[in-house]
Amino acid sequence: MPLMKNDYLGRKPEDFRIFSIFEGKENHRTLDAYRQHDGYAALTKVLKEKIPPDDVITMVKNSGLRGRGGAGFPTGMKWGFVPKAPGEKYVITNFDEGEPGTYKDRYIAEMNSHMLIEGMILAAYAIGAAKSYVYIRGEFIEERKWVETSIREAYEAGFLGKNILGSGFSHEMDIYFGAGAYICGEETGLISSLEGKKGQPKLKPPFPAVQGYLGKPTIVNNVETLAAVPWILRNGPDAYRKFGTEKSAGTKLFNLSGPIVNPGCFELPLGYPLKRFIYEDGGGLLDGKKLKAVIPGGASAPVLTAAEIENINLDYESVAAAGSMLGSGAVIVIPEDISMVDVLHNIMAFFAHESCGQCTPCREGTGWLFRIVDRFKKGTATKADLDRVYDIANNMAGRTICTLSDAAAMPAKSFIRKFAHEFEARIR
Amino acid sequence: MTNTENTLNAEKTQNLVNLTIDGKPVSVPHGTSVIEAAKKIGSKIPHFCWHPGLSVAGVCRLCMVKIEGNPKLQIGCNTQVTEGMKVETKHQEAKEAQKWALEFHLVNHPLDCPTCDQAGECKLQDYYMQVGRYDSQVNEEKVLKPKALDVGTELILDTERCILCSRCVRFEDQVSKTSSLGIFNRGDHSQIGLIPGRRIEHNYSYNLVDICPVGAFTARDFRFKCRVWFLEKTKTTCPGCSTGCSVSVFGNKMEREYYRLKPEVDHEVNGHWMCDYGRKMYKHCNASARQSVPQKNGTPVDWNRITNELVQELTKARNKKVALVLTPQYTNEEYALVLSSIKQILGTTPTVFIWRPETENPTEFDGVLFRGDHNANTKGLERALSQANIQAEIIRGNIEPLKNANPDLTIVLGPEIEMAYGNIENTLQSLSKLSNVVYFGVTLSDTTKQFSLTVPTKVFVEKNGTYLNYNSMPRKLIANAPVFSQIMGLDDMFAAALQRIEQ
Repeated sequence: MPLMKNDYLGRKPEDFRIFSIFEGKENHRTLDAYRQHDGYAALTKVLKEKIPPDDVITMVKNSGLRGRGGAGFPTGMKWGFVPKAPGEKYVITNFDEGEPGTYKDRYIAEMNSHMLIEGMILAAYAIGAAKSYVYIRGEFIEERKWVETSIREAYEAGFLGKNILGSGFSHEMDIYFGAGAYICGEETGLISSLEGKKGQPKLKPPFPAVQGYLGKPTIVNNVETLAAVPWILRNGPDAYRKFGTEKSAGTKLFNLSGPIVNPGCFELPLGYPLKRFIYEDGGGLLDGKKLKAVIPGGASAPVLTAAEIENINLDYESVAAAGSMLGSGAVIVIPEDISMVDVLHNIMAFFAHESCGQCTPCREGTGWLFRIVDRFKKGTATKADLDRVYDIANNMAGRTICTLSDAAAMPAKSFIRKFAHEFEARIR
Repeated sequence: MTNTENTLNAEKTQNLVNLTIDGKPVSVPHGTSVIEAAKKIGSKIPHFCWHPGLSVAGVCRLCMVKIEGNPKLQIGCNTQVTEGMKVETKHQEAKEAQKWALEFHLVNHPLDCPTCDQAGECKLQDYYMQVGRYDSQVNEEKVLKPKALDVGTELILDTERCILCSRCVRFEDQVSKTSSLGIFNRGDHSQIGLIPGRRIEHNYSYNLVDICPVGAFTARDFRFKCRVWFLEKTKTTCPGCSTGCSVSVFGNKMEREYYRLKPEVDHEVNGHWMCDYGRKMYKHCNASARQSVPQKNGTPVDWNRITNELVQELTKARNKKVALVLTPQYTNEEYALVLSSIKQILGTTPTVFIWRPETENPTEFDGVLFRGDHNANTKGLERALSQANIQAEIIRGNIEPLKNANPDLTIVLGPEIEMAYGNIENTLQSLSKLSNVVYFGVTLSDTTKQFSLTVPTKVFVEKNGTYLNYNSMPRKLIANAPVFSQIMGLDDMFAAALQRIEQ
């Protein structure tokens, strides 16, 4: 995968590597490769020095690490919600990477899954969980094998199992394959699926930290989030905060896609200028095409026009201030010669297909939106349909158990509003 | 009962939470949902998926309310009350959300109300009038789904009408515990259906029709028979077994025809439900299933004549051997009246027999509602006899003890619900061989025509009175106008008889 090209803020590109340190190395997926990069040093330190679990949580809190799955919720705070009382608890890795345009979690598995596994064991230690699961998307056949191999290696090396490193802490880890439903990337949908039920989000409250998998306290974290934890514990929260901005600390994986000269998964410090990313690291658009729009955080993030991205940086606050969201970090570039009607058609087809069907506004709204956008594509829509898309989307957002409804509503609203002329041109 | 109901019922003494709903103050136990608290002050928050007898699903998103201090609208069903909470159910934002939630429900609904049995009692229709009243914006083709599916002995399923509220799925999981139903596929192709290899064949299947807020589940027994707006209900007690569930019997007054029973909420006895066996309890009430005209030796006579004949039979039998055969399907009041009237006319107490079904397991219980004693008033009969100091012998099929008593007159109060007695014909045959039998009952057959007098009786829905259920709890019967306008009940007849004797 490509790497950051030039110096940034007076530091060399190599200084910004947490996940991409394995890039270009031989046999980089093995435990040995991981140990050569201080793999399991954090776990060893925590267990040998008997660092209290609460101190681990505090360190993660202080690092400013935020959930990398899309919502950006502070990770340490999430861990802190788990009741302290002993009892059955679970750590679950959300490896159901399904946001269109996103392929960062599989990149971690492809590089070295031990980053994830060590992060999971540390999280389990922090909250007192004896069992964890990697919930992995069913389509990820290779990734599954890599993670399985790493788990096996970790067991053999004594980092998993009974009485890890003689510390008295025991932990078991297992892997579970999803069946390829986008909704199982929503943490309670994932839990339902892991419980053997239809993958549908659960009503909140109760929240998973209190009543999650099998009704027990559970934290569900994204692969990238957990994989950053060993580095943070090894180098300290302050070192992590040296990357990124005040509120968006650390590095993040960004996936650049579209007609780009140099597409791929990049590790960048948060706060990195979007335009620089597209044109410098990404090499700009193919054939010198003009940029029309960017979806900065996966299909559910509101679209931004070329003008809007001028001064945007890739951190949670900057993208939010521009009216979109950083999301999973999937930057989708749309050139001038692609119809926004076609792009929205594609996105709406996705959400109509992936709505779990549980809550009425989402179940009916996603299908309704798709059918209207389909009429735009076919040239049979009317002017009233433009307002209708907006109204429907407005009344889907914030009205359902999970945010899939919002995820479908946001692109619909932003496309219709920002590229009304393209839709009007398709009116009957 | 659901947890919240338990809370409501059991924690009356605990600290109450004070809040206001639409400006009205209300105090409810901790743990109560906004939707239930609103119900308490008569504020009906529209809802499809929430049902007080089932767990909370929170999926229809209709019960949106505005809560002060909360930027987002909340669903009333999954929001617990807190001290000082200010809820607005008719806030403009909430009303708009409710209207939209309704419109979303109708995007793929077939709107086949003219041919739908639910029309008239459909929640989609009701809420359209309550919170909808918009012009449809849907110009799209609807998603087509399977219709008229055979899903069980008593049920037909139209998956297109279904609004996927999941009440039926939760009922199958939580109440009947048969888990026959699931929602399959995703998005607007989600579809209610049977779990492969299963069918709905349990004794509580009609409840699925009741809790279905739309016309997805219809009862084979009722569909296409009568429009619901022609029906009027009589709240009474089910006579099907000794549980004595609170029910309503629905009849068309113009036709004097009954069509169905539905449960009435009664937390002390049946909660929200009733069984399928009980649902049949309207059939024997209709004219086509009953005798309307009294008979003397198989010849129709009028009601005045039959009353005179009864008086004659009773006066003739003074100082002779009289047997009274009672079945446990009459009201407490009827037993008391018949026992005292006969004693008064005869001057002595007759020999009483209790006629019970030939084969029965009266102590059986299915764990939900249905009991093996298919007689509504076993306990009431026992109590009436003990109050009258009468020892009665039980006869089942074999009437030898009655024969051995060699009565000159036998008065039989036959069962109202004959199917509870299995092959009643055998016993009727034996009875017809006795010398002089006055038979009270609902049906007329070649056998009953052989009795000296055959008197049609009123059915439960035509009676005022009480049963004592298995637990000796009084269960109330409320009379609707009788199907046959001239029919005399036992009360009328024995009162008339006494009057004529006194003259």
